[in-house]
Amino acid sequence: MSVTSNDSLLAAEYVLGVLPAPERVIFAERLLHEPELVQEVTAWEAQMSPLVADVLPSPPPARVWRGIERRLFEPAARSYWRWLGPAIAVALSVVALIGWMDRAPQGPLYVAEMTSDEGVRLAALYDADKGEMRVSMAGAPPREGRDFELWLIAGGGAPISLGVMPREGQAAMPIPAELRALVASATMAITDEPLGGSPTGVATGPLVAAAPMVRI
Amino acid sequence: MPDTTLDELLARVALGDRAAFRKLYGQSSAQLFGCCLRILKERRDAEDALQEIYIRIWHRAGSFRAEAGTALGWMLAIARNHAIDRLRQRRPGLLPEGMEAAEILADEAPNPEESVLASSEGRRIAACLQELDANRAEAVRRAYVEGESYLELAERFAVPLNTMRSWLRRSLIVLRECLSR
Repeated sequence: MSVTSNDSLLAAEYVLGVLPAPERVIFAERLLHEPELVQEVTAWEAQMSPLVADVLPSPPPARVWRGIERRLFEPAARSYWRWLGPAIAVALSVVALIGWMDRAPQGPLYVAEMTSDEGVRLAALYDADKGEMRVSMAGAPPREGRDFELWLIAGGGAPISLGVMPREGQAAMPIPAELRALVASATMAITDEPLGGSPTGVATGPLVAAAPMVRI
Repeated sequence: MPDTTLDELLARVALGDRAAFRKLYGQSSAQLFGCCLRILKERRDAEDALQEIYIRIWHRAGSFRAEAGTALGWMLAIARNHAIDRLRQRRPGLLPEGMEAAEILADEAPNPEESVLASSEGRRIAACLQELDANRAEAVRRAYVEGESYLELAERFAVPLNTMRSWLRRSLIVLRECLSR
């Protein structure tokens, strides 16, 4: 990690929260595509966080938790169609993926259906017998100059890259033999990465969507 | 699992475990709410902020890396960032005029290569703050804990805005040097 001294100070000012609004916005925007700057911010955050010992904990009222549950887990009737649309589209792409197989699967099939609020729709279908993952990508594509990268998260370990998603349509992603045992209980996730995928092998961009593998 | 740590709970939240999320909220919300209250001062606004913060935690749990710090530190960063964003939006009038660009002191800083702060032993910040004059340590604390802006700090310490910024930047350089020892 080597950011300039000025960037290191900006990172500290960002962490403290003292930057004037326009500078704060510009800095936050840089964080989206400068992983070294993110590291610097994270380091300052870790160093400063003990100062929070000065803050007295204060239990929030119960309505806060109720609001969180409602917003995360109970789609409002009004947004039903918005939710159903992608679900149907994903279900269709799973059917298409199954139809795409060149023979009836011998072993169990697992599927992860991922949708984001921004309209990304992605399905991953795993054929345990062949050790092959098929992915289907639809809806909102990644931004210009960016790619979506697919990750496997299992056993509490760090996410493992399975490769860059196609911008649209379907693709086959072979699963290395040593990972196959993990897939059935894994969560699949996609992140927003630089073109060609994360340069470091570690997810650098924000999480776009994630879903657990389900046996079908 | 009576003694599940926040780190473990957060790892399970990343997998979509709602029970773990409820538990994580139970064990951390008072701390995060305390932070929001200190920064935002208004209770209803702090409640709205807290709701937004946990929704982000749910969505972003997968991006937490235990190597980079603790789960609580990670959640606090989300909470403080959100609360400060809210605060700055609520009072756009605080946009100071005539503040110089961020280049103040940039050249005086010691060895950029050694700005590696990654060793996050934490408590050292308290010791390092003691190397600063009391006023300057107080300014750092007020910024972090109360979310005070440069303008508010300048008024509090009765110095011009740019002086306040060079003060604080000098303090940060001292802190960085101390923390990397």
